Amino acid sequence: MVQAINQALSQNMEKDDSVILLGEDVGVDGGVFRVTDGLLSKFGPERVLDTPLVELGIVGMGIGMAVNGLRPVVEIQFQDFIYTAMDQIINQAAKIRYRSGGEYIAPIIIRTPYGGGIRGGLYHSQSGESYFVHTAGLIVATPSGPYDAKGLLNSAFKASDPIIFLEPKRLYRSIKEEVPEDMYTVPLGKAKLANSGDDLSIITYGSMVSTVLDTVKKNKINADVLDLRTLLPLDVEAILATVEKTGRVIIVHEAPRTLGMGAEISALIAERRIDYLQAPILRVTGPDSPFPYKMEDYYIPNEKRIMKAVAKILEYR
Amino acid sequence: MAEITSQEEKQKLVKAYTAMVLSRTLDKKIVNAQRQGRVGFYTPTMGQEALQIGAAMALDEQDLIYGYYRDVPLMISRGVPMDLIINQIMGNSADIAKGRQMPSHYGSRKHNFMSVQSPVATNLPLAVGAAYSLKYRKKKGVVLTTFGEGSTSTPDFHAAMNLASVYELPVIFLCENNGWAISLPVEKQTRVDIWSKAAAYGMPGIRANGNDILETYEAVKAAVKRAREGKGPTLIDAISFRMGPHSTSDDPTKYRSESVPEGSEKDPLTIAEGTLKALKLMDDKMIENIKQKTIKIVDDKFDECEKIPPPDPITAFEQVYSEQTWMLKEEVGDIL
Ligand SMILES: Cc1ncc(C[n+]2csc(CCOP(=O)(O)OP(=O)(O)O)c2C)c(N)n1
Ligand SMILES: [Mg+2]
Repeated sequence: MVQAINQALSQNMEKDDSVILLGEDVGVDGGVFRVTDGLLSKFGPERVLDTPLVELGIVGMGIGMAVNGLRPVVEIQFQDFIYTAMDQIINQAAKIRYRSGGEYIAPIIIRTPYGGGIRGGLYHSQSGESYFVHTAGLIVATPSGPYDAKGLLNSAFKASDPIIFLEPKRLYRSIKEEVPEDMYTVPLGKAKLANSGDDLSIITYGSMVSTVLDTVKKNKINADVLDLRTLLPLDVEAILATVEKTGRVIIVHEAPRTLGMGAEISALIAERRIDYLQAPILRVTGPDSPFPYKMEDYYIPNEKRIMKAVAKILEYR
Repeated sequence: MAEITSQEEKQKLVKAYTAMVLSRTLDKKIVNAQRQGRVGFYTPTMGQEALQIGAAMALDEQDLIYGYYRDVPLMISRGVPMDLIINQIMGNSADIAKGRQMPSHYGSRKHNFMSVQSPVATNLPLAVGAAYSLKYRKKKGVVLTTFGEGSTSTPDFHAAMNLASVYELPVIFLCENNGWAISLPVEKQTRVDIWSKAAAYGMPGIRANGNDILETYEAVKAAVKRAREGKGPTLIDAISFRMGPHSTSDDPTKYRSESVPEGSEKDPLTIAEGTLKALKLMDDKMIENIKQKTIKIVDDKFDECEKIPPPDPITAFEQVYSEQTWMLKEEVGDIL
């Protein structure tokens, strides 16, 4: 996935000289995960900025660039460190179009690695998607593999709204996929049916997609697996379609349960398709605690916990 | 070189040097253990021993420390037992925080050393609040807070410096200026000297050679005196060098060629040894003896701590609140 994202950035920079990268250690070092490796030598220091250590500043500066015709891509080294920039994200990026009567827009891309799986403990593992999804005016996307990462990013470069691009860091080097050379797009706002089955639906995204797919395959579960790909706005049609098809829904995410994506998806389903439900909706999520270092394997939803929910939902009559 | 004359200070210096050797030895031990897969991660402190231990020399037990992830020497010189640090790094069941935090994120209330966080400079405003509590309760102590030079770019640094100054609080801002914030050199971090930023907040800024233990000691001593007299905060720019990588995940050859090899003239241990010899407090034989003895002490302690079992998984989900919420109770029931 690292290469796919690198390629998307590189190709868009080649095509459009308004694309500027900024972030901590993104230049000479090529980013702490090497996502921006080689881009400084290719495009120079005017387009790849090794910034001082100030998330609030670089996001704000990026928004200013975006408002004035550039296409900034800001990297926040870990999503856990984005919070000082939340004021800029929530009060500036998300509200500029609205408050200016559409005279100004802020098409900034904020990329950031999120989630656990690298033994990063409390501050290098957070899944904070709900903080962003609660903010109208933002688009929030998260790929589950290299192909989607490049395709979604290519779409992000064409969008005119601010985008929070959450990269599941655990997948950076663990998932291999064929990624075409050309600048194909994967549409924002559209989920993907990653597996087709009749007995139940598992709705998930990001790092959990591969865990769910592996579980389903290994245990020969006849399930629809819906990869949301964009968390805001949600692809409500795809969600409702799978509910109509199976009537049994499990939502899986790594973020804590309380007010996680599962809550919103459950509410949408309950409001619109309650008559189709043959069992209560179940959630398999991270617990409502900080993310632990040593015991991270207990925190992240795994095959065992998913299968427990599958058994429970299939048994329900 | 700064001067010390009193017998008491000379004894302090000998003790401080022993702490430096212990820090260096432990540091190398942990880095090696990380390479062997016995430790998950670590942020080496090599090169920053003098400034941390020099600062600790100027403090009393009652003083509070709000440090960061590169402060093992500071902990050691505060009298924190080595096993407390090793247990944290291993995240075993004897660790105070039960392996919840990444290695290098220690703390010990008993030693007035606040538990460390990763987001840089977020400890600084806390140090200001801590100082306010001391002042409000008319307690004697002062607060030392540490951070890298990269951290001076954050809003937290600005906020803390301003607040401490406005309320004239007993805070010592000790910038561990090791020249690098991961791959960014200090010249690209800021256009001015770190110490000179103090002027913008109306407090003194002192520049010190952070590789020279006595120079840092003198600087911090002056700042502590000022703080104890109720005159407010001081910023100290302790100029040093990060001899190792940023962390065990970092490859500095990607971005820098300069180095300060161990035992070279800029190495803070070399400088301290020169001072000790000049003051006739130690000779080469004594120094070598301390070094050899320390290796054995560290090896033994490390092996001992390695035998301690991992924490009970349930502890990862405790102490989120004073009482566990119903949600977490339910979730943990499902997980374990
Ligand atoms: C708010 C925040 N942003 C980014 C990071 C990632 N990060 C960890 S250490 C570091 C560099 C810190 O440099 P400096 O303050 O000079 O301290 P040093 O590591 O050199 O001791 C960065 C960018 C972080 N920990 N916190
Ligand atoms: Mg530094």
